[in-house]
Amino acid sequence: MSRVIESDVCIIGAGITAAMVAERLAERTGASITIIEAGQRTASLAERTNTRARMLAYGENPYPNDHIPDQTGTGNMYRQMVVGGSAMHWGGAIPRYSPEDFRIRSLYGVGFDWPISFDDIEPYYQEAEERIGAAGEQGPEDCDPRSKPYPMPPLPLSYNLARMREWTDSAGIPFWTQPWARNTEPYRGRNVCQRCDTCAVCPTGAKYTPDFAFDQLLAQGRIDLVTRTLVRRLALEPGTDRIAAAEAVNRDAPAEPIEFRAGTFVLAGGHAWSSHLLLLSGNSRFPDGLANRTGNVGRYMTGHWYVSGFIDLPMRLYPGIFANNSLLTHRFASPGPLDRYVRHDIRLWESDVGRAPRLRNGDGSLLWGDEIMADWRERTDSGATARIRSYYDVLPDRDSRLTLDGSNTNALGDPMPRIDYRPAQTSLDLEGHTHKTIFGRFEHLARAAGGSMMSTRTSRLWEHPGGGCRMGDDPATSVVDRWGRTHDHENLFVVGAPTIVSSGCANGTLTFCALSLMAAEEMEKGLNG
Amino acid sequence: MPRSRRSFLKQSVATVAAASVAGCAPDGDGESGAASDGGTRGAAPGTKAIRLPAHTLRAVGETVLPAELGDDGRERAVAAFERWSDGLEPVAELAHPYLVPETRYSGPDPRPGWAAQLQGLEKECRARFGSELGEIDVAGRRKLLAGPVGQAGTGLGSPSNAGHVAVALMAHFFRSPTATDLCYGRVIAKQQCRGLDGALGEPVHVAGSEGGAP
Repeated sequence: MSRVIESDVCIIGAGITAAMVAERLAERTGASITIIEAGQRTASLAERTNTRARMLAYGENPYPNDHIPDQTGTGNMYRQMVVGGSAMHWGGAIPRYSPEDFRIRSLYGVGFDWPISFDDIEPYYQEAEERIGAAGEQGPEDCDPRSKPYPMPPLPLSYNLARMREWTDSAGIPFWTQPWARNTEPYRGRNVCQRCDTCAVCPTGAKYTPDFAFDQLLAQGRIDLVTRTLVRRLALEPGTDRIAAAEAVNRDAPAEPIEFRAGTFVLAGGHAWSSHLLLLSGNSRFPDGLANRTGNVGRYMTGHWYVSGFIDLPMRLYPGIFANNSLLTHRFASPGPLDRYVRHDIRLWESDVGRAPRLRNGDGSLLWGDEIMADWRERTDSGATARIRSYYDVLPDRDSRLTLDGSNTNALGDPMPRIDYRPAQTSLDLEGHTHKTIFGRFEHLARAAGGSMMSTRTSRLWEHPGGGCRMGDDPATSVVDRWGRTHDHENLFVVGAPTIVSSGCANGTLTFCALSLMAAEEMEKGLNG
Repeated sequence: MPRSRRSFLKQSVATVAAASVAGCAPDGDGESGAASDGGTRGAAPGTKAIRLPAHTLRAVGETVLPAELGDDGRERAVAAFERWSDGLEPVAELAHPYLVPETRYSGPDPRPGWAAQLQGLEKECRARFGSELGEIDVAGRRKLLAGPVGQAGTGLGSPSNAGHVAVALMAHFFRSPTATDLCYGRVIAKQQCRGLDGALGEPVHVAGSEGGAP
């Protein structure tokens, strides 16, 4: 006999998109909200000072107990399963996608258009920035459109970045400051950034993490947060396609099942675990998994690839002033007409690569104390290093796919997810052209400073991944509609990363949040009606 | 206003860390860089302290750390390394690399090996020079260390991965905020909680280092 917990809204997963949905619904409806999280709480803000110190000293994980050992998939996916999700560890970069990202088929004849435009999502970008607390600098309007100012002024340019921006200006490419989820003013009860430069774990609370939102909602009595509880499947109401319950177990008492009943269900499990739960929930009516009548769950897994390098600059910089701030341009994400498709961003950081202390000099001779210092000074006196990186748009193939892996099960015997990413042939055909174009721009930048490229590399790691429940107007080619509502189940929403069509060429979290707020608005209609 | 190099070496990093914002300074005193000391003194939870022979370790410090630190500066660097070593926890869960689903752990405890290396150095020194390591000149000590350091040392990465205690000591110091400031002759105070106000300006000189090396 299951224990039953009832609410109006049941959110599965307690990451950043859950925080967005819960916060908005709590403000705009009287709905009771339950959030289920398989993981538990990790280091509190007060504890992060010491976990940060141990991370710096020993490389230790600053968020103890932030994952479940037997809940491990295969393929590129985040490790975290914890209150706050992967947005506990994030650096807090929150660029918007470019208007072109939503219309690449119409504009360039490649990939897929989204069912929404930039104008549709823009108000939700603004709302997400205000909820998170975004500090940013308005870039040129033609490649950084926005209807309202950022909630907070940008992080200050460091001495290093100011010198670097003089250089990029001389190259004729507009760069501006990366927008961040870090406070430059006291904001929503959180501190101002203190430039600790370990943003993966922020000891001051200046960086937004979802636990702050959950703590406020809990203090207000607006949510119930049920942790260490793993949802194993969603169950239908008999004879209908509505979701009736989320069937779960408390990880401390797996023999005692819990049934969460609600009028509205929200999957907020990120790019891997949302599709995974739908596939796990197959039944006689939906043998291939819920929301999967047309076989699209788990497909079009997406992300972007990158190229990067280091530039030798003939200038005096001081790496370490502010390594976690960077310069950004979206000029090439909004390129205008193209003969051949290539879109990318460029980011620049200070770096000490090639200019760090070393045990052997260029000849391989062993160095001792003063010799190490002299060798180090010689290399820092002779110039500086900039790190450069571009994310570029990679189009997913339909068979870029998350599946259930029967060879890898958790302690309950449930198969874990396996992700096999696969680019569309179009992207493979464009890869050489893409690299040549971007490296040409790197070279242009280097020459403008009188410098040179020290090294370059390419990567096929699918960064900022999403997909698996992509949105669309046509149920034959998508899983959810523009609001995140599944085509097959009118009371089941999927929010955030799984619903994206492609990953553009910018970090994805802000877009995941904006999409979640769009979905919340749609949910409100049912809850207030 | 430049500060004296002596006071910089003694106080700069700890002062910056403590003064910038409450909550940034970990529990340890952090004399040579709070963060690099791990925020702990004494053994890490669940581990038994393995102390390195202090006298020999200091003799190694005089051999492999910059003489420009002076006796006091080298003593602080060695003491900071000892605190770091005391707090080291073998087979600890490491920070997750981006988009890697598997958990990764640090390696086995290097300290028994390091302690044995220091004991071996003393034996070798007595056999070759008839004295303790601290009693022979630096050139002689480097002769003794060149072989094992040359074999073990491929770089100055994480000290806990160093194959020889002398490399670990060097790596610990040269990766510290203090060493960076000494190299540049500027108060950069990397990875300390410094506030936003000072970011835009060129870092101030460490007194005595104007124009480059101190």
